[in-house]
Amino acid sequence: MFKLNLKIAWRNLWKNKGYTLINILGLSIGMASCILIFIFIRYQLSFDENFKNEGRIYRVITSWTAPDSFFESPGTARPLPPAMRNDFRQQFDRVGTIQGGGGIIKVKDASGKESIKTAEDVQYADPDFFEILDFKWLEGNPRQSLSQPNTVVLSDEMANKLFGDWHKAVGQSINFKNKLDLKVTGIIEKTPENSSFPLRIIISYKTYQNQAGPELTSWGSVSSSSECYVLLKKGVSIEDANRSIPQFIDKYYQKDDISKEGHRFQPLRDIHYNEELGNFANKVISKKELYGLAIIGVFLLLTACINFINLATAQAVSRGKEVGVRKVMGSLRRQLIVQFLTETLTITVLSLLVGCVLTEIALPGMQSLFKDHISFSIIEHPIILAFMLVLMILVSFLAGFYPAMVMSGYSPALAIKNKITANAGGLSLRKILVVVQFAITIILIIGTLVVLRQMSYMREKPLGFIPTAVALVDIPSDSIAITRYHTLQDQINKIPGVLSTSYCSAAPSSDFNNESNFRYNSTVNATFQANTKTGDENYFKTFGLAIIAGKGLTKSDTVRNFVVNETMLKKLNVVNYNEALGKTIRVHGKTGTIVGVVKDFNNRSLHEPISPIILNSDKESYTTIAIKLDSKSILPAMQAIEKTWNNVLPEYVYGSTFLDDKISEYYQTEKIMGALFKVFAGVIIFISFIGLFGLISFVATQRTREVAIRKVLGASTVELVKMLNGSFLMMVFIANLVAWPLAYLFVAKWLATFTYRIEVNIWPFILAMIISMTITLITVSIRSYKAAVANTIDALKYE
Amino acid sequence: MIQLTNIEKYYANKGVKNYVLRLVTTTIKQGEFVSIMGPSGAGKSTLLNIIGMLEEPTYGTYEFLGENVTSLNERKRIELYRNHIGFVFQAYHLIDEMTVYENIEAPLLYKKIGSSERASRIADLLDRFNIVAKKDLFPNQLSGGQQQLVGIARALAAQPSIILADEPTGNLQSAQAEEIMELFKKLNQEDGITIIQVTHSEKNAQYGNRILHIADGVVKEDVTVA
Repeated sequence: MFKLNLKIAWRNLWKNKGYTLINILGLSIGMASCILIFIFIRYQLSFDENFKNEGRIYRVITSWTAPDSFFESPGTARPLPPAMRNDFRQQFDRVGTIQGGGGIIKVKDASGKESIKTAEDVQYADPDFFEILDFKWLEGNPRQSLSQPNTVVLSDEMANKLFGDWHKAVGQSINFKNKLDLKVTGIIEKTPENSSFPLRIIISYKTYQNQAGPELTSWGSVSSSSECYVLLKKGVSIEDANRSIPQFIDKYYQKDDISKEGHRFQPLRDIHYNEELGNFANKVISKKELYGLAIIGVFLLLTACINFINLATAQAVSRGKEVGVRKVMGSLRRQLIVQFLTETLTITVLSLLVGCVLTEIALPGMQSLFKDHISFSIIEHPIILAFMLVLMILVSFLAGFYPAMVMSGYSPALAIKNKITANAGGLSLRKILVVVQFAITIILIIGTLVVLRQMSYMREKPLGFIPTAVALVDIPSDSIAITRYHTLQDQINKIPGVLSTSYCSAAPSSDFNNESNFRYNSTVNATFQANTKTGDENYFKTFGLAIIAGKGLTKSDTVRNFVVNETMLKKLNVVNYNEALGKTIRVHGKTGTIVGVVKDFNNRSLHEPISPIILNSDKESYTTIAIKLDSKSILPAMQAIEKTWNNVLPEYVYGSTFLDDKISEYYQTEKIMGALFKVFAGVIIFISFIGLFGLISFVATQRTREVAIRKVLGASTVELVKMLNGSFLMMVFIANLVAWPLAYLFVAKWLATFTYRIEVNIWPFILAMIISMTITLITVSIRSYKAAVANTIDALKYE
Repeated sequence: MIQLTNIEKYYANKGVKNYVLRLVTTTIKQGEFVSIMGPSGAGKSTLLNIIGMLEEPTYGTYEFLGENVTSLNERKRIELYRNHIGFVFQAYHLIDEMTVYENIEAPLLYKKIGSSERASRIADLLDRFNIVAKKDLFPNQLSGGQQQLVGIARALAAQPSIILADEPTGNLQSAQAEEIMELFKKLNQEDGITIIQVTHSEKNAQYGNRILHIADGVVKEDVTVA
């Protein structure tokens, strides 16, 4: 029976090739989008899985609560891990430390000649860290390999890169930061892409302790790259550990600070999804975004299913006779339902196959958008196959069940006499479905328009400085390098195309932000923290910052003068900026006078407001030389800069970025979102409109006789086209009305995440209406015109 | 085999009852060949539909094989379709997507007949109606007469005890019509199948052994053909 059903289904599909094509096209695109979204979500949800004790592993988070601010860091004070190991004996099995860092790695070949010089990120870790997270060790083990100073463990991939073959790496040594020789004592397997721990070079924590300064014992300074992980004892709940925190804080932290410290324990499996805290891999995605994608996927599928339902119920009438005959031959309604569902299943299977091909085609685009290797291998991940099967069955039912119910419900007496009319196929339901479908489409169109407008607003908004054609070149900050700063700057200034250069800790807008307590003209700390930046006397010129009172910084290697921004003075309630000039500021333990006020500039992404800022010169803190270039000669100038840099600092590794690239990186998420919106809006528009085309084709065919009779009665072509189009335009218009409030809620919520944003006005809504109505008009007119000019005789003679 | 008692059928329209059938009482015995005749709109087709259980009468009782079937649930009705009743239509109503062979096979599949039994019955029918060569063709590749032969073959496949035919020759030319009527006569006389047909043609009615004349929903005459 099934085989026969399948055969009949196949013949039916072949007979209605046009509708079949529309159905398969719509469903396959919808399914491909769903599969893409699924494999992406699966990949994101697979981060940091498969650790033996994953449910018991937590990262220690530090927080600061001040009267008007709250800040969290994934780092901890460096003395915290040993203290926690001691004080939380009852709750934790292990407390491990990992410290991020980086430097130049050099490897000598057999003859003693330097064969490899490369700048790499490294981590310092203690054995406990590796006993908490069970990475796979190919050689050595945590206790033996990382208990001594000056030892290093490499990933097999890194060992291959440095020594040719990881089997030969153990026992060899590498030079780190031009001063330490580290012995390779172990090899771990390369961590997978879906890991928040990109471990390649792990140096024993003892090595770090040997070379670190006073921060090692300071509870007051916290770097986000000093992370601490704990393994909860079996049978102990994390609440038990939480209860001991207040006592722990009282014991170790000073009490009289403006902001109060706190700790919490972040579960391992939350690390990948927390956008505020970040991790060593710099790969984070919020669950909210994943849910958003899933919702878009469901929408796409729904739209495609609606197409199917509409076309199937519209066509149902032509199947009436068959239903009647089958019923009098003894077919149960259930058997008919099975038959129609078999037909839907056939279409779904075909669509799934086409969808797989489309997925494969779209995958490289998706990988480059997300900069991740996302696999579509059903052998590697059988769950993808399971998903596709579920998708297939779900779509078959969603799309096929209603039409099957309608068709199998025909009364045989009416069906045989061809007395079933189109209305019996549920025209009103069809209208509702079209409205739903178009409402979804219009919401996506409006969403896309708003996202794109906000993106262009962010690109064009004046930031208070000029980010174009500014190169940021890394500079080493050890004592040897500092002696060569002057030479380097002199030589770079001589390169043609270089307009100005400035040593600084960070560009005006940067991810690298330093918040600090300070005193303004008094002996008590201000109630808020200031963002501190350092730069030399050319900082303002290089970045195009405007001084609105006093003057900029003067040539100085140490802290003497300060420049503050407008926000700073506003927060201090200084109305006349000139009043502030000459007042003292004490920050980072150093005192100086305010010599100038700089016009406000955006120092973070446009999601956030402008911070109060203190600028000063401090040679010791520079990490970057900013170079303003003539935009016409960027390429040759950059080549010359790299050459000069390597001549002056031959022991180090050159690295550079452009400020405008850095700034656009802030909006990576928005960029991806914009791209996704554009693609999915395009897809959904396409699906909706081929559905519409199918529907109007059917309606035109149904009403051929009516059209012919009206023509005979004297109706003009335009009048006929209008008559056929009318209900469709009305449906799309209603869809617009339904979509507007929903779209408004959505875009308003999204825009609220930006401190600097466009106003929501009526235009995206009007534009979406114009777009949807125009496309509808074109789509339906093509078909209805054809129906209106068809030969009258052909339509009438068969009756 | 069929006992109709006071069958009435009307459609209520704005409180006005439009009678299609009024107080029809008749008995049809096993092995009869009955023709229902009458002018357009007399209620012939409605009567046939009621006999075929495609419509329910408004009043009256209907017994089929001694069982009251006036209103029957789907499962029971379909049981009767599978085992006792075969339909033949004026417009043939073959399923366009199925070949001749598959059309004849369909009722057997619903009756859950085994595949070898199915094959032999279909082969037998194809042979009997001389349409073996046409078995792989689709309905639209056949002439009207041939399509009606397939329709009858399909109706016979399930070996029903009664065939209900609504103007079986209405769409056919006279030569083909004669052929079909001869076939009905043969089926009635040789196989003892009860046949009830609706027809306009006096000539076709003569093939049977009883004629019910209907006008305005009332049985005017019930004549036995010699």
